[in-house]
Amino acid sequence: MMMADVFSNLALGFGVAFTPINLLLCLIGALVGTLVGILPGLGTIATVAMLLPITFGLNPVGALIMLAGIYYGAQYGGSTTSILVNIPGEATSVVTTLDGFQMAKKGRAGPALAIAAVSSFFAGCVATVLIALLGAPLTKLALAFGAPEYFSLMVLGLIFAVVLAKGSVLKAIAMIVLGLLMSMVGADIETGASRMAFDIPELADGLGFATVAMGVFGFAEIIRNLDPDAQMDRNLVQQKISGLMPTRKDLKDSTPAILRGTVLGSLLGILPGGGAVIASFAAYTFEKKVSKHPERFGTGVIEGVAAPESANNAAAQTSFIPLLTLGIPPNAVMALMVGAMTIHGIVPGPQVMEKQPELVWGMIASMWLGNLMLLVINLPLVGIWVRLLRVPYRLLFPSIVIFCSIGIYSINNAPTDVILAGLFGLFGYWLIKHDFEPAPLLLGMVLGPLMEENLRRALLLSRGDWSVFLTRPIAAGLMFVAAALLVLALLPALRKKREEVFVES
Amino acid sequence: MSEAESRAPNAMAGRIKGPQDFYGGLALMGIALFALWAARDLQGTSGFSFGPGTVPRMAGIMLLLMGAGVAASGFFTTGAPLQRFSIRGPLFVTLAILSFSVTIRPLGLVVSALASFFIAAMATPETNWKETIIVGVLLTAGCSLLFPYALGLPLELYPPILR
Repeated sequence: MMMADVFSNLALGFGVAFTPINLLLCLIGALVGTLVGILPGLGTIATVAMLLPITFGLNPVGALIMLAGIYYGAQYGGSTTSILVNIPGEATSVVTTLDGFQMAKKGRAGPALAIAAVSSFFAGCVATVLIALLGAPLTKLALAFGAPEYFSLMVLGLIFAVVLAKGSVLKAIAMIVLGLLMSMVGADIETGASRMAFDIPELADGLGFATVAMGVFGFAEIIRNLDPDAQMDRNLVQQKISGLMPTRKDLKDSTPAILRGTVLGSLLGILPGGGAVIASFAAYTFEKKVSKHPERFGTGVIEGVAAPESANNAAAQTSFIPLLTLGIPPNAVMALMVGAMTIHGIVPGPQVMEKQPELVWGMIASMWLGNLMLLVINLPLVGIWVRLLRVPYRLLFPSIVIFCSIGIYSINNAPTDVILAGLFGLFGYWLIKHDFEPAPLLLGMVLGPLMEENLRRALLLSRGDWSVFLTRPIAAGLMFVAAALLVLALLPALRKKREEVFVES
Repeated sequence: MSEAESRAPNAMAGRIKGPQDFYGGLALMGIALFALWAARDLQGTSGFSFGPGTVPRMAGIMLLLMGAGVAASGFFTTGAPLQRFSIRGPLFVTLAILSFSVTIRPLGLVVSALASFFIAAMATPETNWKETIIVGVLLTAGCSLLFPYALGLPLELYPPILR
């Protein structure tokens, strides 16, 4: 019965995704995502934020298909630069540089790129099936959730984000709280009262999420890269990339790593607050632990490419599960997807699964197709991507500034949005200089309205009794896990372990 | 990300062991106080129902405490020194963004984008003007085709006199 559901859902999805226009949008999204993902200094979040406006003119299904394509395309581009120039285009491919670039130096860039693509594709296939399997039951669960459960789940998600992030737990929580605070600027949802907007009309509707994202991720990153001491050494691999085919030994070595990376990545992706970055780190560390020759990691072993690349792709895709079933974005990119859906008048959550199944399943099916396209198209295109890497930064960054500015302007046709993004760029530069992570800030900003609404509703229903979070079993369980995680993260022993994991980079 | 850090000399900050966190925490406390001040007039909790001001105040107080915590850890435990802020990059990138937002409505995309491109290019000493002009013109032409025509976004291309 359930399996039949899964197949009929996937069939519906492929029916939607296989229309010529949607196939084309998926292809364009994946290619443009790769192109921008390869450019240094623009991470996945900035890429998706920057390209958001190009999907405005499309219908909702097409826009989501294209955005999803941009998202995994950007991830793919990130791993390409990791391997070829030792610059991770994305945070998710930081660990890929460790062995990927070493392989490239030994003249084995081709097999490294091929294995990265194959492992991403395999992980994508597994994750697609997983989304299809878990989508329906989780949606049923979500419909049973009340306000206290939703609030507790989001608390848990934020705690997860803190525990799994690198650096100081305290600073990460501070960034989340700052994000929550920023989300409250503008009209109050329930009473309509203007909050912290100082009668500035542009602030009346609140701070735009894409505006802030573009500022703290796009502009801030550009400004930081212009610092005289941040000049990227672009020791591009000069050898010609010949022979993409991995040897039989490569395949034999990487298969178990791909399998383990996929499992680990899928699990971490589903958890709210998890996501692709931590998945790639965890997979690399785990692979090193189980390897018979851990000392060879970092010298160019194929497992060191296969494990993190499969893990980050699996996690990138399974992180759609909490978004689609619960309406909770588990990371900043998913938060941008919420923004995109809102622009098209869709409120993500269990209702979408029930009422607009063609939207959800069409997107899921297109993700699989997009991964296949990336595998088939990108490997032959490696030569073009390499040439793109040779574009000097002095020409690249003014172009990115202009492109981002036009992008932000076109969201609301509001010049003030562009100024705000510029101010947030300066603020983001300051954050970088004080070692504050902007990602938790964005997560807090996105979850803010949802959390406030559910907290208010929960306390209204319980007549102001805070124990509602402890007397309802699911809410209490989620709160307990959150508290336990926080305590664990603050324990000195585990703190040391966390640092060890992140020292790898 | 490659984390190239410049260690600024911190002779004056002798007693503060981790200036980066200390001043970062202080600034967060400042933001929190500002937010609490901005939310001062909002109605708080009445009975058991939250007012529009309840949650902002809760968040403001939490941020104040977190900021204090970060500042305290910067004061008592050895940490990173302050990093040097550069001026040229942030200045010209911000000016470019400002010039774009001020001119896009009255002057249209072509003039606005081209001018901002050149202002942004001044952010680095490496700029070679010949190639910058060529790339700037090409990019402006590309954007003028992409946004209004290919994507159908409502953008004016030219100043009003030429329309």
